[in-house]
Amino acid sequence: MGNVHAKAPTEPELKGVKTSSAPAAKKDDIFVKFDKLPVRVQRVVVDGLTRTKDDIIIKEVKPLLSAKTFDELVQLSYNAKVKMERLGLFKNVVIAFDVSKDKRENGYEVLFEVSEFRRVRSGGIHTEISNNDGSLILGMQMPNIFGRGEKLDLHYIIGTKRTHGYKAHLKKPLNNNPDIYMGALAFQSHGEYPWSGYKQTDRGFALDLTFPTMFGSHNLQWEGVWRDLRALSRETSFSVREQAGHSLKSSLKHTFSIDTRDDRILPTTGTLWQTCQEYAGIGGNVEFAKQDGTFQWNTSLIWDTIFQVSLAGGVMRPLDPKASVNINDRFFLGGPLTLRGFNLHGCGPHSHENALGAEAYWLAAAHIYSPLPFRPGKGRFGDFFKTHFFVNAGNLGSLDFNDLNGSVRGLGETMRWSYGMGLVLYLGGMARLELNYVIPMRVQKGDKVNPGLQFGIGINFL
Amino acid sequence: MSLVVDSVQATLGASEPWPDDVCLFQQYQVEQITLPDYAQCLAVRTFLHMNGLRFRVEQRTNAEEMSPSGKVPFIQVGLYLVSEMDPIVAFVGTKGFSLSRELSDTERSEMRAYMSMVENILGNAELYMAWLNAEIATEVTKPRYGCSFPWPLRWILPWSKQREIRARLKSNDWADKSLDEVCAEVKVCCQALSERLEKKEFFFGDRPTELDALVFGHLYTLLTTILPGGHFTAVLRDFENLGKFCKRIEDSYFRLGGFD
Repeated sequence: MGNVHAKAPTEPELKGVKTSSAPAAKKDDIFVKFDKLPVRVQRVVVDGLTRTKDDIIIKEVKPLLSAKTFDELVQLSYNAKVKMERLGLFKNVVIAFDVSKDKRENGYEVLFEVSEFRRVRSGGIHTEISNNDGSLILGMQMPNIFGRGEKLDLHYIIGTKRTHGYKAHLKKPLNNNPDIYMGALAFQSHGEYPWSGYKQTDRGFALDLTFPTMFGSHNLQWEGVWRDLRALSRETSFSVREQAGHSLKSSLKHTFSIDTRDDRILPTTGTLWQTCQEYAGIGGNVEFAKQDGTFQWNTSLIWDTIFQVSLAGGVMRPLDPKASVNINDRFFLGGPLTLRGFNLHGCGPHSHENALGAEAYWLAAAHIYSPLPFRPGKGRFGDFFKTHFFVNAGNLGSLDFNDLNGSVRGLGETMRWSYGMGLVLYLGGMARLELNYVIPMRVQKGDKVNPGLQFGIGINFL
Repeated sequence: MSLVVDSVQATLGASEPWPDDVCLFQQYQVEQITLPDYAQCLAVRTFLHMNGLRFRVEQRTNAEEMSPSGKVPFIQVGLYLVSEMDPIVAFVGTKGFSLSRELSDTERSEMRAYMSMVENILGNAELYMAWLNAEIATEVTKPRYGCSFPWPLRWILPWSKQREIRARLKSNDWADKSLDEVCAEVKVCCQALSERLEKKEFFFGDRPTELDALVFGHLYTLLTTILPGGHFTAVLRDFENLGKFCKRIEDSYFRLGGFD
């Protein structure tokens, strides 16, 4: 971050009033009584522009001309600097104030020395951990590609389970507001889903709009994706094989989230509320409406223990009542970070070892996290470990919309639940790792149960 | 690997008799299936009929993607899926059904030679005609192949299939042939078949063999499918005994129980 350099005008009685409005100012900056000093900004110079467009800069620095006092000028300049940096225009902005050259009364000049990003920046190599699957991402970024804060991200992803894919994501802030942006995404990816015995190649295109509101953040997305589903092997069940082939999903999706948690992997306080509606069937040959939601509440108790409650649920229905939703859009349940005590996606209907998924699910979990007993490594590595006790319950099934009460009761009656305890390891803001001893208490026929020790790694958990 | 799986599967399947719920999967016959695929499906169906085996034809738009080998037709016998003519013949053989059991070794190898000739020449000629002949590909094959998909898959998938077929025909030197050369090949093949058949009822002895099923599958398809240009129909018209052969097989295996 750049500093604000202020050159004091030569006035006799200089008294130490620090420019409180400039948080980036250091203690050893000159102390001047600035706040009421009258100013007239005569020139604003922005030096170092090569590809950033003038109009966007003018819009950001124009408010400076209306500054009446020096204090205001510093404040406005700082705002402009922060805004331009947040828009992803510059990697560094240094502001310098000077009295204007023509020596008019109270005349000032402001100089922004900006340094733009290089055209292509290596996004480096990093790893991403999704549920029980790790992937390596090779990235490249082109910041400020068209000169108005647009950012292009190119990714190549290669993962365990033979996942691989490419992704190009262009983001553009709208109306010079870094919080409201449009995105365009093109991708191709291939993945294997051994629990269901199929593999799939996705090729698609998406457009989205992200904007904040008073209550939380919204994301509206249209996605068109061509999916090529194939049986994974000769052992794949016929019920899965029947669904092989090409499908084109064109869907509108709305995601709303409020996240006040202090950490998304191991929060100690705060609430997460996230809902997602998807409507597929605007063109294409995949037609369903889907609703999914997650709620999580964390609170700290005595002795550094944390109490956490999570709820999740979802329901979908095909637009044509006689049709059914394909396996690649269905809900699955079970796994070492969600419904513990069951194999990954091991709950619900199966056909010859292949999970078929279902059209509705619910899931609830309660945890009590506490530090390690006797607190070894306190303040150091010990803080990355927690012990937890948990109870989780859930069910997966289909809702019959003609007999809603009955099928909802059915989803309650045939529920699965388990409890246990274990260790949670916080992996540097990236993922969590759990080693649990789980006792499944209620299972249903066909479930793949994993009693005893269970190991899980991932970001999403309940 | 897949050969081992095939043979293991064939041996495992052998212990059970022919079940009642055997299904043969293919694309929709009226709207969707392409000429070469139809010929393959008809050959297999004729073969099963000749063995007197019961089966049901299931038409699925995604039959090709469902098939373990990516080609139609395939049959489902209990838990086993077997696709394409040769593996199906072998599989049915392990169940104790064979059309060529009574042939001598020399005859059997002769039959195999004819079969591979038919599969090579007629199979490739059908692919050539359906996908590489610009007029037929645009007017018939591609619209049919893409008919079950929404736009833009409706044109992407036929286009990529055409590329795939072109690459396959390039590798065996068929892609560079002219239409006349292809017709000449077909003529040579039919000439050989016609000479073998002469005035007899079947190619070998007085009972149908796998060769009869295969020849019927291909020739019947070529004779009855009306394509722009009508090149193959014109070639086949010269071989009267082959035409009669097709009529005979059709009458005895497809007329009685209706056309499936």
